[in-house]
Amino acid sequence: MNVGRPVAVVKRVVADLNVARGERMNIGRVVAVVKRVFADLNHDKRTVGLIVIVPLLFMLAFGFAFQGDVRDVRVLVVNDDNGGGLGNASISDRVIANLDTATLTVDSATNESAAVAEVQNGKAYAVIVFPTNLTETVYGTAAQPPLAAQANPPGIIAINPQAKVSIRVLADKSNTEVSRAIITAVNAAVLKTADENGQSQRLSVDTTGAIYGLNARFIDFFCPGIVCLAIWNLTTLLTLQAFVGEREIGTLQRLFASPLRESELVAGYSIAYGTLGVMQAGLLLAVGVLLFNVIIVGNIILAFATIALLAIVSQALGILLSSVAHSQREAGEFMPFLMLSAVLLSGIIWPIEAIPVWLRPASYLIPTTYAVEAVRSVMMRGWGLSMIWVDIVALLVFAITFLVLAVIMLKKRE
Amino acid sequence: MVKDYIETIDLEKSFGGLQAIDKFTLRVKKGEIFGLLGPNAAGKTTLIKILCSLLMPTGGAAYVLGKRVPDRHIAPLIGYMPQELALYTNVSVHENVEFYGAIFGLSKDQILKRERELLRLIDLEAHTKAIVHNLSGGMQRRVSLACALLHEPPLLFLDEPTVGVDPQLRMSFWDYFEGLKDGGTTILITTHYMDEARRCDRVGFMHAGKLIAEGSPHELLDLTHTDSLEDAFLILSREERG
Ligand SMILES: Nc1ncnc2c1ncn2[C@@H]1O[C@H](COP(=O)(O)OP(=O)(O)O)[C@@H](O)[C@H]1O
Ligand SMILES: [Mg+2]
Repeated sequence: MNVGRPVAVVKRVVADLNVARGERMNIGRVVAVVKRVFADLNHDKRTVGLIVIVPLLFMLAFGFAFQGDVRDVRVLVVNDDNGGGLGNASISDRVIANLDTATLTVDSATNESAAVAEVQNGKAYAVIVFPTNLTETVYGTAAQPPLAAQANPPGIIAINPQAKVSIRVLADKSNTEVSRAIITAVNAAVLKTADENGQSQRLSVDTTGAIYGLNARFIDFFCPGIVCLAIWNLTTLLTLQAFVGEREIGTLQRLFASPLRESELVAGYSIAYGTLGVMQAGLLLAVGVLLFNVIIVGNIILAFATIALLAIVSQALGILLSSVAHSQREAGEFMPFLMLSAVLLSGIIWPIEAIPVWLRPASYLIPTTYAVEAVRSVMMRGWGLSMIWVDIVALLVFAITFLVLAVIMLKKRE
Repeated sequence: MVKDYIETIDLEKSFGGLQAIDKFTLRVKKGEIFGLLGPNAAGKTTLIKILCSLLMPTGGAAYVLGKRVPDRHIAPLIGYMPQELALYTNVSVHENVEFYGAIFGLSKDQILKRERELLRLIDLEAHTKAIVHNLSGGMQRRVSLACALLHEPPLLFLDEPTVGVDPQLRMSFWDYFEGLKDGGTTILITTHYMDEARRCDRVGFMHAGKLIAEGSPHELLDLTHTDSLEDAFLILSREERG
């Protein structure tokens, strides 16, 4: 090693530091820079608006969307409890009366298989089954005469002091947040009932059963949402920027003076971005499955088809938005709105069931709501087209509307 | 057959309060090279865009190849080189040529044949595979011109085709334009360069949306008793204002 060279390096570094020390700041020039930034803003009301509106929107949207607890979830009660001869004082009736009716909308079903079928069809989220011997076992007494008037119901003679009994909750666990809320509500009702009569040792809640999503973790629930969010955001933004770019650089002008029809242009973009969407989704799902062991129960082709449809909706929206954005920078300003709408309102993280009722209509105006619902149902519930067709129709309506509007917008001549 | 390939009658175009084209009446005959001259914001680009069905007139009428514009049916018959670059800059020269060729319905063989001919003309034969944004501004203009000529249209609209192109190559462009003209092609061209204007059959001076004078370069020089078109333009626009 040559000593001269490291020394030269050290000298150079020191020289650099000296230059930095010589950096005398002139307050007048600093003020000039500050003034220029504000002068710029003064001429750019759009950015000022953005600076004010976006944070406000974030605050309001997060505040309202996350403020809500899960609400109005329909559950079915199958009450086989014979009441142990206690009539109205039966444990099942008390637990049912103690269920939180803000969280749950409780309906009764005649038998378990009919109730399970309703959940399988997506008409309810859970079945709560009260077994025949519930009250008997809890009180440890069979066919005692009703003693409801007494302050403490009789626990006189235990038929079998070891006997235990469970209320079973069969939930659709494909929506982990909703199923957690149901289980919490049932547990709370049971605890409250036990508190009221001090007979808790023999009663438990069995939540191991699931109609869908047995062993589902949050990531299983989240994965379809992430895929849809990524496609929605990226595809919209990419087409938006592509079209703004085509306008700026003049290729769009050249195309409009050529035999190419606007509809052909939009169709070309749709096919390209639909394909890209499927490829992105394939990549994301592969990572989900290989790295996070995400479970896919249903027909993956159907999931991909739904995602392709979402990509087509998104790219058509991108083309539409390009008529309002005049530069790449203005195009970027749509990003927070796209992101917010999808993350908060379309059930990606936070279930629609937990969005305040007055805000829910907004959810149904966002295409990702339908895509997330459909893809999640396919992946976690194994639903087929016959079950998700409503979502597919909704996406088709969005697609056709946006595509037609995009063509009309492109055809418009100043 | 239509003799006037371009005809405008009291054509007007306003953007809000701004009159970009003002009572503009012009005829361009088949087989002519017509040069539009005028300072920035005179309305040259706006006029070409109306003729290419890209903008709606707000008054008067314009006919291209005998059809009143806007009319998409004439699109296959016109070649348009916009003032902007109008190329896909992230892809190669060849890919641009291929794309625009396909849009105009050319077969693969036709595209390859035209590409060879045109790249020789614009002196970029060695750059077929080059990515457009790596080319110099002048080279990019040349590629843009090639893309407008691909489908051998009988009517050409060239909006400042020679900006940033070096003088020697500009002259070879003009030799080519004259060759096209001899083959029956009609050309409407805008330019800043007075030496180019001299090579037009007819020239129109444009100022603030109006056609202030029009004729062969000789006629315009005689009219103003000058020997340069530059001076002729200055005199005429002063008269117009004064
Ligand atoms: N889309 C538009 N909106 C508003 N004003 C425009 C538009 N296009 C052109 N103009 C205005 O019309 C006038 C003529 O512009 P242009 O035709 O581009 O002139 P030239 O090509 O001769 O430089 C200019 O004042 C320009 O600012
Ligand atoms: Mg111009």
